Amino acid sequence: MRKAAEEFLRDAATKSADLAHRQIIRQGIDKYNEAFERGRARFFNWEAARQRCSEIKWEAVNHLDRYLVEFEERVKARGGHVFWAENAEEARAYITDLARRRGIRTIVKSKSMVAEEIHLARALEKEGIKVYETDLGEFIVQLRNEPPYHIVTPAMHLTRADISALFKEKLGGIDTEDPPELVAAARRWLRQTFFAAEMGISGVNFLVADSGMIAITTNEGNADLGMSLPRIHVALAGIEKVIPRLEDLAILWPVLATAGTGQPITCYNSLIGGPRGLNETDGPDEFHVILLDNGRSELLADAEQREVLHCIRCGACLNACPVFRSVGGHTYGTTYQGPIGSVLTPHLRGLDEFQHLSYASSLCGACTDACPVKIDLHHHLLHNRRNAVNEAHRPWTERIGFTLWRWMTMSAGRFALGGSIGRATLRGVYALGLESTVLDPLRPWTKVRAAPHIPSKSFRALWRKGIGTN
Amino acid sequence: MERTDNPSRAKILERIKAALSAPASPDVPQTYDPAFASVTDPIERFQRECSSNNTECVMTPSLAASADAISNVLSALPAGEIFVQDSLELRGMASAWTSHHIRWSSTVAEAGSTNKGPRETSQATITLAEALVALTGSVLVSAECGGRGAAFVAPVHIVVAKAGQLVPDLETAFARLKESGAAIRNSYLCLITGSSRTADIEKILVMGAHGPGRLVVTVALGTE
Repeated sequence: MRKAAEEFLRDAATKSADLAHRQIIRQGIDKYNEAFERGRARFFNWEAARQRCSEIKWEAVNHLDRYLVEFEERVKARGGHVFWAENAEEARAYITDLARRRGIRTIVKSKSMVAEEIHLARALEKEGIKVYETDLGEFIVQLRNEPPYHIVTPAMHLTRADISALFKEKLGGIDTEDPPELVAAARRWLRQTFFAAEMGISGVNFLVADSGMIAITTNEGNADLGMSLPRIHVALAGIEKVIPRLEDLAILWPVLATAGTGQPITCYNSLIGGPRGLNETDGPDEFHVILLDNGRSELLADAEQREVLHCIRCGACLNACPVFRSVGGHTYGTTYQGPIGSVLTPHLRGLDEFQHLSYASSLCGACTDACPVKIDLHHHLLHNRRNAVNEAHRPWTERIGFTLWRWMTMSAGRFALGGSIGRATLRGVYALGLESTVLDPLRPWTKVRAAPHIPSKSFRALWRKGIGTN
Repeated sequence: MERTDNPSRAKILERIKAALSAPASPDVPQTYDPAFASVTDPIERFQRECSSNNTECVMTPSLAASADAISNVLSALPAGEIFVQDSLELRGMASAWTSHHIRWSSTVAEAGSTNKGPRETSQATITLAEALVALTGSVLVSAECGGRGAAFVAPVHIVVAKAGQLVPDLETAFARLKESGAAIRNSYLCLITGSSRTADIEKILVMGAHGPGRLVVTVALGTE
């Protein structure tokens, strides 16, 4: 078994038995569900909204080259810079290089899943640059030296007592479990940093092609401070983030908000098209947008799974997923957690190492129902399973096993023989008291459960005796 | 920009073109169902949305009455500086605001300072808006509305608007932005809906995360 799979199984077993963890996740997701139902009810037709969003993303992703070039031209016309990065290394090198040349010492960062994907903060810190996460949830997990737990709610796994203890230790002078006081403490602490920082780094929710602007959504206003006060703004986007028109946001913003948190619309939806203009009061001198490929164009080439690039990173599929709720976000060991992470990660980091995530699903389809851009998530998990088999990423024992199984089931006689050998073997093993030992062929099942009753006769034998005739 | 060499640009575009040579199926069907019910009474809707998203909405008969309403808000604030967008309308209203020192927005930095936006110690900021959106109870501001920081730095943001700026929905707001050239002219636009908030601790809603804890919008009825 691959290392990532081993770690997943080990962490999943630990986390799903951690009742305190289950409690905090259940509480968070219950609150989300309540808010989401209220939010969905505000739409005249939620299904029409999903359909519209899906069409917008389909149009953009299936004409990606055209819209990216249009976006690039317009940003450049507004005085911004656009850099195309083939992989994580190029994106990191561009930013660290820029920071070095501009003598940057302090960076304020707002939420960016792409920055997590390319491990940007670590690279900048190696250069001796201080990077401060400014989204409250990200700030908390940064203080804990942890990756985000959830795409939208990075500190979902922590109680206010955990956060209180953390702030007391790391920020000092704070001793409260009151959420408003904890928020105020973080605000005070980060304020000085905002005014001192020379560079702001942000993610991107949408690249608007016809306007040459990036759209960023936050509730806290942290991203806006980060692109108002520092003298350089760097925005990081995956190439799939482009949308054709400004008007598309009229549906995408409300849908992103409702799917993400249940809000009718998020508090701050900002559009940035370049550095500070000639007659503008404030804003940065430089504006850089990094367009990251990092495996996305390969996913694009897979017509069957191309729509995975429609994802708007709302986190709804995580909240809906019974596996996520049990094992938690960190267990996935990936930048993107939950169903979308399970589908996407094999494309970004290799099917061989991350094929196990295709099985971290009950295939119940709750993720597909939840997805606001209608990505057929659970079927893509099946596609990944099939591809893993076809591309020979499975062990040879499994291939032989399935070949034998197939051969056996192709004839009624062989099937009956196989069944009777199987029953006899199991009865023998259990008669010797070897249940759940390594000699038990059903050990994966019986090590945590009682062995099933092994009937002495096959179904077909019973049928012939008349069980079907009463 | 020094780094004009970007060899990956061509490579990425090449790969995208090659990838798209296989068409994605199935194509999604077109839908013409509306996602939102249309807004019939924009003023009523705007007020209702504001009260649910924590925006303090004050309807007044005129800009002079708005100035008085703002004066009441200011007099309850702690002593300190108020940052105001430098504009004809707001210059005309400012005589009513005597409780605080006013600093006007400027595009020229003060001597010894690079910060032309509001100071961190500002008690409030007062700006105009590009538009108000009834559907979501939102205020659309641009860089021209006192700059980027004007909507974020102070604990209170006060917006002075006229009834004629109220549009029913976001589509109309975007169309206006394009028509007026504001989307091209400004390096920054922000649709603000309520005051800054976070629910990152146990999903408990807390107001005033990094931006203002209070958003006050005065709408002068009968003005275009």
